Amino acid sequence: MRFRQIFRLIGILNFFLGLSMLAPLTISLIYSDGSFLSLLYSIIITSGSGIVLFFLIKKADYPTLSQREAMAIVTLSWLSAGFFGSLPFLFSGSIGNITDAYFESISGFTTTGASILGNIESLPKGILFWRSLTQWMGGMGIIVLSIAILPFLGVGGMQLYKAEIPSPVVDKLQPRISETAKTLWKVYLFITLLEIGLLFLGRMPLFDSICHAFCTMPTGGFSTQNGSIAQFNSAYFEGVITVFMILAGINFSLHFKFLKGDFKVFGRDPECRVFISILVILIILVTFNIYGPIYHSISHAFRRAAFQVTSIITTTGFVTANYAQWPALSQIILLLCMFIGAMAGSTGGAIKIMRIILLVKHGYQEIFRLIHPHAVRPIKLGGKPVPEEVLNSIWGFFILYLGLFIVAVIIMSAMGMDIITSFASVAATIGNVGPGFGLVGPVENYLAVPALGKWVLIFCMILGRLEIYTVIIMLAPAYWRK
Amino acid sequence: MKIIIIGAGEVGFHIAQRLSEENQDVVLIEKDPNKIREVQNVIDVQAILGSGTNPSVLNEAGIKESDMLVAATDSDEANLIACFFAQYLTDYITKIARVKNPDYMKYKEIFNQDFFNIDLIINPQSEMVASMLRLMEVPEASEVIDFVDGRIKLIGITIKDNSPLVGRKLSSFDDFEHVILVGVIVRGEKIIIPSGQDTIQPNDLIYCVIHKENIPNIFRLMNVREEGLGRIIIVGGGETGLALATSLDASNINTKIIEKDGQRCLELAEKLEKVVVLNGDATDREFLLEENISDVDIMVVITGDDENNVLISLLGKALGAKKTVTRIGKLSYIPLVSAIGIDTVVSPRLSAIRTILQYIRKGKVICVAPLKGEGAEAIEFEALETSDIVNIPLSEVKFPKETIVGAIVRGEEVIIPRGQNIIQPHDHLIIFALKGAIPKLEKLFTVKLEYF
Repeated sequence: MRFRQIFRLIGILNFFLGLSMLAPLTISLIYSDGSFLSLLYSIIITSGSGIVLFFLIKKADYPTLSQREAMAIVTLSWLSAGFFGSLPFLFSGSIGNITDAYFESISGFTTTGASILGNIESLPKGILFWRSLTQWMGGMGIIVLSIAILPFLGVGGMQLYKAEIPSPVVDKLQPRISETAKTLWKVYLFITLLEIGLLFLGRMPLFDSICHAFCTMPTGGFSTQNGSIAQFNSAYFEGVITVFMILAGINFSLHFKFLKGDFKVFGRDPECRVFISILVILIILVTFNIYGPIYHSISHAFRRAAFQVTSIITTTGFVTANYAQWPALSQIILLLCMFIGAMAGSTGGAIKIMRIILLVKHGYQEIFRLIHPHAVRPIKLGGKPVPEEVLNSIWGFFILYLGLFIVAVIIMSAMGMDIITSFASVAATIGNVGPGFGLVGPVENYLAVPALGKWVLIFCMILGRLEIYTVIIMLAPAYWRK
Repeated sequence: MKIIIIGAGEVGFHIAQRLSEENQDVVLIEKDPNKIREVQNVIDVQAILGSGTNPSVLNEAGIKESDMLVAATDSDEANLIACFFAQYLTDYITKIARVKNPDYMKYKEIFNQDFFNIDLIINPQSEMVASMLRLMEVPEASEVIDFVDGRIKLIGITIKDNSPLVGRKLSSFDDFEHVILVGVIVRGEKIIIPSGQDTIQPNDLIYCVIHKENIPNIFRLMNVREEGLGRIIIVGGGETGLALATSLDASNINTKIIEKDGQRCLELAEKLEKVVVLNGDATDREFLLEENISDVDIMVVITGDDENNVLISLLGKALGAKKTVTRIGKLSYIPLVSAIGIDTVVSPRLSAIRTILQYIRKGKVICVAPLKGEGAEAIEFEALETSDIVNIPLSEVKFPKETIVGAIVRGEEVIIPRGQNIIQPHDHLIIFALKGAIPKLEKLFTVKLEYF
């Protein structure tokens, strides 16, 4: 472990993080909302700290990063982005204390969308924009962004990329990692611009269009409105956002192939087929479950069900209905959605469809073996056998996910939260969803959670976004041994 | 440039590594998932799991948009089939194939025809034999590379303790000045592009560019006695050994070849006239003494086993062989062996890499020679009229750091450059450069676009 090298790279990232605050600074100038100075100070501190780290630390002789170092860089830079990202909230007085500000900032970068803010609309526009921007940057990944714009990361870039990308298998779209990262960001940017355009065409104010697109594509879920998407009460907006939530939940390499002219790629991809099937089945189930007791017209029920199921399964967390009041079946379905998540390689969180498919196939294989003890039958996905080690790492991930979930739930309940809240708050943060049930339900927020509980949830959010291994490995004693 | 490389063995891996470091888009196709993982951890290329002989894998690798295909697996057949399919899939791609089997090499010309249309066939073994023969022309040097059709030679010389050069600053080399220029010093595992302030130390390996005619002068100046080649022992009667022995068969050099396998010895004896074929184990001290190892000028150890080769060479040196040439396949061993007293290393893989890189750089670059593993290169460039470097004094050309101009070749004349020399169009320059400086150097030599 070469800490010099690690902190030097984090310095570079800080510098660029500071520069990214120039965007909300511009917004605050346009609206002269009074947040100009607080953003300016944040830029000076963030970029300044980056410059100090970069110039104080001498360059290491051997630039290639080991896998360990890459994991440390990714985890530490997310922690540091969370800290520096919270400065604008603190300086502008939007959020009073460091715990809450850090919670809001990490919730942004990890694209969770869990907020401690009650009255969002009262925030200065610049701060609101920064809140959306953290989500947008965190969605495709701050590390992936730096790989795209900083050419010198080279081989180390691959290690960093692997540590941040939310997928059990990593495929390069382009021969070079920086090109791969660039391609992903271009696709991401393109779809985001498309959504901004469509929302704006439907007469959403430009500022809100941008903010909502910035929070849809990373499956984030921050809104500029107190009542989230429900406040607009527009079927058009809900339709557009639903479609883009689904797009955000699809593996971005499929989007890339689609844009390159391979139009059948979505239908051919086995994970995508399962994702869409699950989505359709659950929407139908919830529609019929809420039709009648809650909503009196089938179209109304469908509109609410489609939006809410999509929002939760893609781990976005936008809200158009108080689903905490829906019948038990619908609530259970939504709770399960928090665990399933979207496709691997998308911006969504949670366990992810690909892992679920492989876990199920592995389970079935064991049954098959009992019937045909001599059968040779590798587990296949899309006609290709899945390597044993990928399966092992998926089982490991699954066990760790559930294990950490249970530990966090126990801690939350020990702090006096009720069963539903303990359960839902952890599920919604480790899955990067946002709103949960109970005290952290769709029309509530996380302000009421005690401070220690907030730190537990912060940890859950980072675990969820970096897919556990990258973070948890730093807690293993063997990691620190030479 | 997008380049597809088939096979992540040592040859494929090193070419991929070099090219990706030079910012080329490299796609590597490999069958072994373990190797794929290794590759992805170490180099920035796109690695595809699959067989390079499978056309759909080639398509997946994007062969239609690629500029070059390098088939570098250990199997000749796989390499040829890959080129065959590449030819079928796209007309425009440049194809390079590594072919080892001497039986195929006899019919080399069919590979260049429409069926395969391979642009370059690399036969590491014949490359290796050629480089060993070059070495025998200048037995005092530890490495000899030809430039400008052999008129200029790049030689590597190991400095002995008693050399008059030891301890001297390069800037004090008055009597050498018009004859050689030290381009690279290899000290242990370090590679240095020297300035006038550097001094030469014992056991340094120095590389310099020299006109063929000046070679005897150089060795006289360095206090190295030049001796003709009298006796050679070749250890290992494989294909390379046979090829080398066959070329020596025609000369007056007293050559012996040692081979363990009796059956193979019979085959060798059938094919060779003057060369003495010995059946025995070269690790046997008594056997070597019996064959007068102490009188041997060069002992060439080229069995298929790296570790054995190193030990046999050390044994031969200990018993009095004046010089050893050792075949080492594993590239990772190469930097180590000079430290333990092996004089000269030949490597089939290094030869293959050298030829492929040379071909890939073709155009601006005329000849490339990787030095000492691959840490540095000597590159022959042609100075074009439109490039930035012509018609101004050398001292004003903005050469990248860690490069040095070793020689300017103008027609028949070889100039050992100094600051005030002016490069004229169509001069050939031989430049030493560390690996990192090569892309910048290439840029310098690229033709500027002219707008009318």
